[in-house]
Amino acid sequence: MAQSPWGKRPSGNGGGMRPPSGGGGGQPQMDLDALLRKAHERMRGAMGPDGGASEKRIAGMILAALAVLWLISGVYRVNPDELGVVLRFGEYQRTEGPGLNYHFPYPVESVMIPSVTTVNKVEIGGGGAVENPTIRRASAEMSYLPQNHESLMLTSDRNIVDIGFEVQWKIDGTNPQDFLFNVRDPAGSVKAVAESAMREVIGRNKLEDVLTTAQSQIAEDTKAIMQRIFDQYKAGIEVIAVNLSKPDVPDPVLGEFQDVKRAEQDKETAESVAEGYRNDIIPRAKGEAVQMVQAAEAYKNRVVAEAQGDVARFNKIYEQYVNAKDVTRKRMYLETMEAVMKGMPKVIIDESAKGTGVVPVLPLPAVSQPKASE
Amino acid sequence: MEKILIKIGAALAVMGVLLYSSVFIVVQTQQALVLQFGEIVREIKEPGLKFKLPFVQNVIFFDNRLLDFRAQPAEFISKNRETDVEERVVIDAFVRYRITDPVLFYQAVRTEANLASRLNSIVVSNMRKTLANHSLSDLLSKDRAAIMEQIRLQVNRQATRGDMEDRAEGSVGVETTQRRGQGFGIEILDLRIVRADLPADISQATYERMRKNFTKEAQKFRAEGEERALEIRSKADREKVEILAKAQKESETIRGEGDGEAAGITASAFGRDPSFYDFYRSMQAYRNTLAKEDTTVVMSPDKGFLKQLNQ
Repeated sequence: MAQSPWGKRPSGNGGGMRPPSGGGGGQPQMDLDALLRKAHERMRGAMGPDGGASEKRIAGMILAALAVLWLISGVYRVNPDELGVVLRFGEYQRTEGPGLNYHFPYPVESVMIPSVTTVNKVEIGGGGAVENPTIRRASAEMSYLPQNHESLMLTSDRNIVDIGFEVQWKIDGTNPQDFLFNVRDPAGSVKAVAESAMREVIGRNKLEDVLTTAQSQIAEDTKAIMQRIFDQYKAGIEVIAVNLSKPDVPDPVLGEFQDVKRAEQDKETAESVAEGYRNDIIPRAKGEAVQMVQAAEAYKNRVVAEAQGDVARFNKIYEQYVNAKDVTRKRMYLETMEAVMKGMPKVIIDESAKGTGVVPVLPLPAVSQPKASE
Repeated sequence: MEKILIKIGAALAVMGVLLYSSVFIVVQTQQALVLQFGEIVREIKEPGLKFKLPFVQNVIFFDNRLLDFRAQPAEFISKNRETDVEERVVIDAFVRYRITDPVLFYQAVRTEANLASRLNSIVVSNMRKTLANHSLSDLLSKDRAAIMEQIRLQVNRQATRGDMEDRAEGSVGVETTQRRGQGFGIEILDLRIVRADLPADISQATYERMRKNFTKEAQKFRAEGEERALEIRSKADREKVEILAKAQKESETIRGEGDGEAAGITASAFGRDPSFYDFYRSMQAYRNTLAKEDTTVVMSPDKGFLKQLNQ
């Protein structure tokens, strides 16, 4: 580094015009000003040999007023959301907080007042691919890229996903000078870095995950990568958030993709219809089963009860029968016959009268007919 | 007296002009070279108020910040490991660099525009080299960061040291002031691949494949739905049959039990006098079976019920 004695900032002794350094920077400038003013006054006096003292005084007052105005021009205001970064002869000097501040007037010091709370937004994809004009290109031929769609990205399973997102960032308030001095076009960098980071993250994920569950993870990963890059650049940029709009498949395959969604629905529908069928027939079958068993129980109880009834009745009769066997038997027989024969068509054939030639021909159908012929 | 004043004034004016042409400011974001008759005499990397010889020296400024450069998208051939087929990939990348040695930078390229075309060919050639050993699948994986770093290191080595191994591909008609082992006086701080994409015609094929996959997937879902539905239905049908069969079995058993019990009860009672039971039960059966109207009895008055008629 070739550096002449002049180049050293706090130069040893460069005469009366050495650049101001440190806190007492204003002093030489004032001296210079006073010197100039004095010189001017002398010249005035020289030009008008008979000029009055009042003329001199007016000129002096004008110069003094100009000097005051010049000094006042160093007053500047920093709003609560801003910081004042003061440069002295182009070199970073100090950072001032909000309020009314003063810097030595031009050309000694100047101030840059970046807003450190404003949240800036960069949108990528989602509505018209806008190329960032601030990124320098070597006569870029963009025809290679598919329709210049910045939102179309390749996934790890080599599908193309359409993902738009927004990056929110702000200037890192603790080091505003990083933002101002370290990177050319930091705002443009945000977009380029965001796209690169997002493509890297999408490239690690499968299409299905990108479309379903992995979205918050993707946003988080992208944010982390971006922040790491900006920290590496010392760009003074703080990434606040990466917001994904809903990722989708590209337009050319949208129809088929939606059909997949429908098919998924169809599957669920078919399943639930079948479940409905099952829920319909199983309870019915169970009911029927219970009914059958109950009927059987009823039958069992009935036949047992009937048997018991029969037995009870038989036993009663038998008790009597034992006492008078023949009589009871006879009576039972006659009672039964009486009951059975009563009202029954009867044909009585005397077999002893065979010789009379009565042939017992029974017109069987006729016998059973009378009811039908009515 | 007045003449002295004029002289002083003139001297001051001359001093002003001299001051103006000998003082310059290097801003925080800049570095500068002082040239004397076109020859570099001084390099200034610190910002602040600087001095130079008036008239004979002039200053050129360079950016001190991190600068951006976006490489032209270029097409590469890489082997797809899965299918073992070579495929075309379009990659574009950006580079972040800083001018670390303004002297070298000025000697080698002078301006950023000149650097851009040189850097582009270096980036492209190094990407080509690296991608010969990697596939697109590697870029679509966790390895991407490592691959980018690898390319960055190579590009950085060439840009700072000037190891132009493949000069034939590298410099395209730009005057080569860069000597071997010298470089551009820049440092490559970052190289990031933005897009690693398939060319437009392959993209169409990709869409086609995606369409087919989606169609397959949809079919699969529907078929699975059918399968599940049939499974559920047939299981339900089976279950129904089983339930009913079980109930049938149970009810028959119960009925049998009833019949058995009834038979047991009657047998124990009636067994006391079988002949009477025969008679008794016959009487009952007559009452129940011989209905009134539809039975015609042909009887002989000789015996049985009517025997009393033959007195």
